[in-house]
Amino acid sequence: MNLINSIFKICGTIGQKFLKFLSNIGHFFIFFITAIFWIFRPPWYFKKIFYQIIDIGYFSLPVVGLTTFFSGMVLALQTYNGFSELNNETTVARVVLTSITRELGPVLTGLMVAGRIGAKMAAEIATMRVTEQIDALGTLGTRPMQYLIAPKIIASLICIPVLVLLGNTIGILGGYIIAIFKLEFNPSIYLYATVEYLQWIDIIQGTVKAAIFGLIISMVSCYFGFNATKGAEGVGYATTASVVISSVMILTSTYIITALFFG
Amino acid sequence: MENKSNNKIIIEVKNLTKSFNETMVLNDINFKLFEGESLAIIGASGSGKSVLLKNIIGLLSPDKGSIKINNLEMVGLKRSVKEKILLDLGITFQHGALFDSLQNWENIVFKVKNKEKLTDKDAKELALSIIKRLGLNSEILDLYPSEISGGMQKRVAIARAICGNPKVLLFDEPTSGLDPVTGSLIDKLIKSAVKTVGGSAITITHDMASVCKVADKVILIDKQTISWSGTPKEMLKTDNAQIKDFIKSTNPKLFI
Repeated sequence: MNLINSIFKICGTIGQKFLKFLSNIGHFFIFFITAIFWIFRPPWYFKKIFYQIIDIGYFSLPVVGLTTFFSGMVLALQTYNGFSELNNETTVARVVLTSITRELGPVLTGLMVAGRIGAKMAAEIATMRVTEQIDALGTLGTRPMQYLIAPKIIASLICIPVLVLLGNTIGILGGYIIAIFKLEFNPSIYLYATVEYLQWIDIIQGTVKAAIFGLIISMVSCYFGFNATKGAEGVGYATTASVVISSVMILTSTYIITALFFG
Repeated sequence: MENKSNNKIIIEVKNLTKSFNETMVLNDINFKLFEGESLAIIGASGSGKSVLLKNIIGLLSPDKGSIKINNLEMVGLKRSVKEKILLDLGITFQHGALFDSLQNWENIVFKVKNKEKLTDKDAKELALSIIKRLGLNSEILDLYPSEISGGMQKRVAIARAICGNPKVLLFDEPTSGLDPVTGSLIDKLIKSAVKTVGGSAITITHDMASVCKVADKVILIDKQTISWSGTPKEMLKTDNAQIKDFIKSTNPKLFI
């Protein structure tokens, strides 16, 4: 009897957790639709969008640049070591180019921005929530979704694709530097191979991924921030959850997008 | 208590009940706020005063009951209509709720600047004129809320509430955390703000001296409901044990 009760209890707990999970997905979906609605409704707070673009785009560039630069360098070096029989300019150039433009550039940029900007967005909005600033906004004739959330989403959608394009370029440059100065490849052949293997579909796919990552990072971070409770602890939870869930969603969606484009 | 009954009813709360999960916070709350009247709501910490205010301004929805502002039912009202009504209210929150990312002058004129499309220069002049009434100097205008003291933040929040001369003012503990002189200044300001624009005010407070200065009517919330109501003079003579305890702690006779 005790065993049956314990099994029922465990099943009940699992069921409750599952229902809570479904409820959270439902809430997130409603938040997502509402946020998209407010993106297209005037007034648009251009000043706030501009500040967000500077914050997300300009100030993320150093960290994205460094990450992709060293990734390109490592990739060139590992490709050279891994494919010792096929060591030539074209193989290394092709592997670096394809890996950076299709996967590493968008994913690393997405993860870096999720860590830097996602955490910041979630913490900022969560603090505003727990200190009643969002409540105050609503009583001052301003819709929080329109004033706080929409500019962040718009700026993310603009900035992250640009960051990915720049990150890709820097990553390829990193590979080039290793190929020329360490592996002593012929610069003209390496460059020619890079340009020859560069395909529009890779750039388009990388940009599409970046835009989706931008949407994921801003939506997830704003959602957790906007629904924060329990004071400082709630702010901490919102920040951690936004980074973890954004990162997991980035890694999951990159597979789905790659499968759709090249599967 | 009914001497204002010929006046227009600004806020009417009927049978308001509010619970959080299993805990009942407010039960069958009824009161009216008339035009030109200043109402003080008193009660122990955690008695539900702020919850009542949040129900009135629509941040929380009551489980039961009705809230009318200017004879318009707020419960279940369309959000866009509710927002327009809230624009005519001046509200301060318990902890100020100033926007961290904006300078103080931007906080003060936030509603009016958007509503009346003021230029930065005009808006700043308006903010300056208001903070002078609150005993603040112009230097704080360009600072951020985090760069001024808690008492100053409170006054900036009050400045934001009275900016644009709203006809209905709702203050949640406006004098808490202020020194007695500044607290007294805020009391005078609330009184004059109500008189000048012929408006009405609800002030939530623990400060009995403040109650005597600003209120025409007082209600006590205890055990989830209104357990006592009357004028400040009646309050000073009442046998209600909780009010007596409150009075003992501040001796408002000294301040009248």
